[in-house]
Amino acid sequence: METPKDDQLIADLLALRPAPRPEFAAELDQRAAAGFPRRTRWPRFSLSFPTRRLLIPAGGLAVVAIAVVTAVVVSNEAGDKVGSGGSMLGLTREVDSGSVPERPRSLEQAAEEAKPTVGASSAPAGATEIEPLSRDIKPQAQNRAVERNAELVLGAAPADVSEDSSKVFEAVHAHDGIVMNSSTREGKPGEAGARFELLIPSAKLGDALAALSAIDEVRSRHEATNDITAPTVTTGELLQDSKARIDSLLAQLEATETESEREAVEAELAQERRHRSRLRAELQHLERRADYSRVLVRIETGAADEPSGGGAWGVGDALDDAGQILAVAAAVAVVALAILGPIALVALLAWLAHRAWVRRERRRVLS
Amino acid sequence: MPRSEGMEQALVAEAQAAPRAGDIAFERLYRSSRDDVYAYVASLLRDGPAAEEVTAAAFERAYRKRNRFDPERGEPRAWLFGIARNAALDELRRRGRQAELAAEPADLESFGAPEGAQHHERRLAVSAALERLQPSERELIALKFFAGLENREIARVLGLSESNAGTKLHRAMTKLREACDGNA
Repeated sequence: METPKDDQLIADLLALRPAPRPEFAAELDQRAAAGFPRRTRWPRFSLSFPTRRLLIPAGGLAVVAIAVVTAVVVSNEAGDKVGSGGSMLGLTREVDSGSVPERPRSLEQAAEEAKPTVGASSAPAGATEIEPLSRDIKPQAQNRAVERNAELVLGAAPADVSEDSSKVFEAVHAHDGIVMNSSTREGKPGEAGARFELLIPSAKLGDALAALSAIDEVRSRHEATNDITAPTVTTGELLQDSKARIDSLLAQLEATETESEREAVEAELAQERRHRSRLRAELQHLERRADYSRVLVRIETGAADEPSGGGAWGVGDALDDAGQILAVAAAVAVVALAILGPIALVALLAWLAHRAWVRRERRRVLS
Repeated sequence: MPRSEGMEQALVAEAQAAPRAGDIAFERLYRSSRDDVYAYVASLLRDGPAAEEVTAAAFERAYRKRNRFDPERGEPRAWLFGIARNAALDELRRRGRQAELAAEPADLESFGAPEGAQHHERRLAVSAALERLQPSERELIALKFFAGLENREIARVLGLSESNAGTKLHRAMTKLREACDGNA
């Protein structure tokens, strides 16, 4: 309820009301008509609405591009660690050097790939599935005895089996190898084929495999090594002992005085000579195993038995690759979230704290 | 019946040229509030040039945010004065000085001329009484009598309930009256 005195006070207050200068009012009207163009002292970074609208798909594209690039890079790194060959995207690579059919580009290239150039004399004892041909092991490095085995599967048309078989013989002979066993079968695709069990001088194994690989399409290629140094050395030492024992027995034989002593020494000598023969045969066998590598060559016709990832890149491989890409993308997203999440949380807390501080300061101004 | 290409282009051009409803509403708000915002900001800052800067900045900020205004959350004037208040308080914070509500001395010169010395003296007394009020009380009076806001709008600007705003305003007026009586 206002008294007359209140009316007067209000009238006085209204009279004290600050009024804008006409020049300022006119200028502000012009700015209003122009849509209030920015005139802050420091230009602030701000995006117009259409630009912001473009920013969303652009940001999405950038995220997708980063995810794809990361996925490809990660996959390639993983593939490089595992081995060579594989799918179009390099995502399905296998340890096995020969599981992917490949056409020999040329004899020289294939020979270069298969040439044993790197020594690996410290291979552990026992059969070991070895590295791809590009990382070949020298058959016998210095004092080590290493047995090598290889298996090569070639794909051929039924009409080419006979010709390919002849080339196998030529390649074996050209590298001083031995065909231990061979069989050739003619017929329809899938039935026709050939099988060869070969002994190749280990020193020439790389060249021989290169030549054999050049005959036709390589469907698979395996190599294995077995370090037989220990049994070779042991057998050699036993053989030396046996020789020494025989020499000793011969000396005893000369020194015998009675018939019974002579018969006993002769029996022992005969037994020791048999033992020496066995050891010598065993040593020769071991040396032959080291000197010659066993190679199994099969020529197959018809469709290749494709393990996963083998053959031409197809729908299945595409699905596998897509799954792996999604998995990698998900992993990248998780990592990004792990990084960005705390940063976003800290930024949010900082923003809230700043807002609270600004409000408090505004209140303090009038307190 | 398909429209001709020329007619379609003309319609599109007309639609683009026509101001949107939001722009029209803001234009109306600006016209009705320009002097009130200035009066309120000037009473807070007590600095003509700074009040002009802040008033312009407040309208600029409001214009940029006009699409975010939600009519269900309050009146447009309350929203605009909230923006102006924040801009003015930020300016005061930057200066690091306390707000002092009072009319500019230059304005006082123009009060009394047509109405005589008695009016002039009374208004000087009112102005001096305003100086003695708390800044928050002076702000209430400025919002009510300089900016011409309703109590509910004042409550909205200051973040108070309407009854609380009315009570505080009444107390401020009582203190002002007492201060005027003391001056007299």
